[in-house]
Amino acid sequence: MRAIGADAAPRAPVRERRRPTLKAAEQRLAWLLLAPALLAIALLIGWPLYVIVQMSARPGKALAISQLMAQPFGTANFERVLHQPALWQAFGHSAVYTLGSLIPAFIAGLLFALLFHRSFPARRWLRSMLLLPWAVPGVVVSVTFLWMLDASYGVVNAVLRDLGLLATDIAWFVDARTAMAAVLVPTIWKSFPFFTITILAALQSIPETLYEAARVDGATPLQQFRHVTWPGIAGPALLAALLNALWTFREFDIIYASTRGGPAGATETLGILVYREAFESFRFGTAAAIGVLMLATATLFVVLFMRVLKREFA
Amino acid sequence: MSSILTRAATVALVAAATLVAPELHAQTTLEFPTWQAEEPGVSTWWKDLIAAYEKRYPDVKINMQQVAFAQFVKQMTVRFAAGNPPDIVHLPSRDFASFADQGWLEPLDERLKRTDIPATWPPLQSEMQWNGKTQGVLLMGYGGMLFYNDQKLKDAKLGVPKSPDDWLAAMKATTDASKGQFGLATITAEHPNMVVEMASWVIGSGADWLKGGNYNFTDPAVVKAVDGWRQSVAYAPKGTNSATARQLFVDGKVTFLRDGPWVWGALGKAPPDVRPNLKIGALPFPVTPGGVSNSLHLATKTEAKKKEAAWNFIQMAASPEWQSRYALTGSPAPRKGALTAADLAANPHLKVINDEAAKAHNLFPEVQPVRAQYNDFATLVTKSAMRMISTPDPTSKVLADLQAELTRELPLK
Repeated sequence: MRAIGADAAPRAPVRERRRPTLKAAEQRLAWLLLAPALLAIALLIGWPLYVIVQMSARPGKALAISQLMAQPFGTANFERVLHQPALWQAFGHSAVYTLGSLIPAFIAGLLFALLFHRSFPARRWLRSMLLLPWAVPGVVVSVTFLWMLDASYGVVNAVLRDLGLLATDIAWFVDARTAMAAVLVPTIWKSFPFFTITILAALQSIPETLYEAARVDGATPLQQFRHVTWPGIAGPALLAALLNALWTFREFDIIYASTRGGPAGATETLGILVYREAFESFRFGTAAAIGVLMLATATLFVVLFMRVLKREFA
Repeated sequence: MSSILTRAATVALVAAATLVAPELHAQTTLEFPTWQAEEPGVSTWWKDLIAAYEKRYPDVKINMQQVAFAQFVKQMTVRFAAGNPPDIVHLPSRDFASFADQGWLEPLDERLKRTDIPATWPPLQSEMQWNGKTQGVLLMGYGGMLFYNDQKLKDAKLGVPKSPDDWLAAMKATTDASKGQFGLATITAEHPNMVVEMASWVIGSGADWLKGGNYNFTDPAVVKAVDGWRQSVAYAPKGTNSATARQLFVDGKVTFLRDGPWVWGALGKAPPDVRPNLKIGALPFPVTPGGVSNSLHLATKTEAKKKEAAWNFIQMAASPEWQSRYALTGSPAPRKGALTAADLAANPHLKVINDEAAKAHNLFPEVQPVRAQYNDFATLVTKSAMRMISTPDPTSKVLADLQAELTRELPLK
């Protein structure tokens, strides 16, 4: 009697079912948890970007988006905008507007943060008040400054006249030479509290012992700022500057509500130009092309800025 | 048991009534966006007309919404482009062609044949034609008017100006910027009506910036007329839009206002000590600049039932009774004989308004490519106007640049 299976071919070694390693399981769980966020990003950011890039490559003037998207692909929109003097002028205005508001707002924000880091009466109350400009909508800011800087009935001209600094009224928002400065003032006023709050938070994380050590070593207040304060706040401050630069670069409401990009294009930034192309000339394709160029510029700026940041903090 | 049955029957009846009620009282709601819903004078006419319409057609409700004029055409364009047009379409007539060119407006020739509108409307109704089809009913054709503060002229020992030079001299004599007093209130900020202000001087002088099917901005007569407009702006507060300009005049802070006759209705809001001084007259130009103002239309995409209801509304607005009431607001009504001799005798201002409307020359371009892309044309002209207000660049240079830009961006051939 043969044992059952005695002449059977030698069995292939039974593969043990491999159990997932802990790392793989963790990765799978991580992807699973990330999935809703990734889906939301794809829908809310990826899809509109895809549509804008598609639209930018559809030449032709069609008022209905469906008609525009039915046009064949082409580069005519980019050719048109790149040959438009208005585009380069708007690029210049955007650069002036971004830097012109970023630098003063940063300096004002830093100074206020240093001030509010010290103890003095009513500090908490004033700190809350300081946030107000940031909370006010851009359109409201524009209307307020429009009245304050009004050529004929504005308080600014009246004060300057009374002080003997003005002989004739200045039409701040209407004169091509002063319009950019006039839109910069409300922009700076609205954006500096963001720097103050960010830098103040960073200041509070610097240990007091570092300052004590610096004082013991005989460091002057300026040296304390250079060697203790700045290294402590540089990271958040520069990140805030990057964010603010991006917000200002695509700013629309303050400029549109005050000058609509005028007078004669003197404050026409890229954001205003996109709006004009899309909703005044109804050239959605060229508007999308300018949007794509703006996106490319912003991406390039971020990449360069991040390199500088990495080098700084490596 | 019987009480349970009674209760059940009551609940069933209430439920049935609730379900059936909306069907029985189903209302058609017509959407009607307009920039005139809050405009003094004419807004009352619209509200009264809507109330009368809803009384005659109780199953129809009209939802009138205010949209600021500066945003109106943009909002309507976006709505039409998105396939969601309003049911009653009210348009500034200068923008009519750009909507008709997209095939968005319903041809009305068949409907008009069954009314007396073709026989009783003025020749300006032909402006409502596009590609050989009538696509709207003109609601107002007008002549530009001169509003003036009589007291300020008397204080300066001046009469009502009769020529552009007189007018400029009077503006200068009544301007004292340090006291917030100005000779003129006009649009000095980026605004769609900036073109109308400038065109009034050009057409008023007898020149035209479109001649023989070509742009004519470099014509010395056009340059001279635009120079006149530019000089007038020097006597006006800067950064003003049309609403602020009207308010300054009503508040008694300026001597002159050039505007449409509909501003007459707003004068009632002037302070009691100012109101008696505010007068209306003809513009001091050899030619009266004016044109088609606004019109009513149907959208092709509107469903048939709503289209019919909206057409009934347009017919009612065009009826003798409502045309007469419209004319009494100060807006020239297109229907022949809208005002009686007694109306004119009782309201002397209506005579000058109607006289000016009758002899007005159209200040809006009549060339087809410009009509179809009026927004582009207006944007470029406004940009040049703002350049003249905000820089010292010579008028002839600005207009030559404008002509070159229009030829490039908006070719006529």
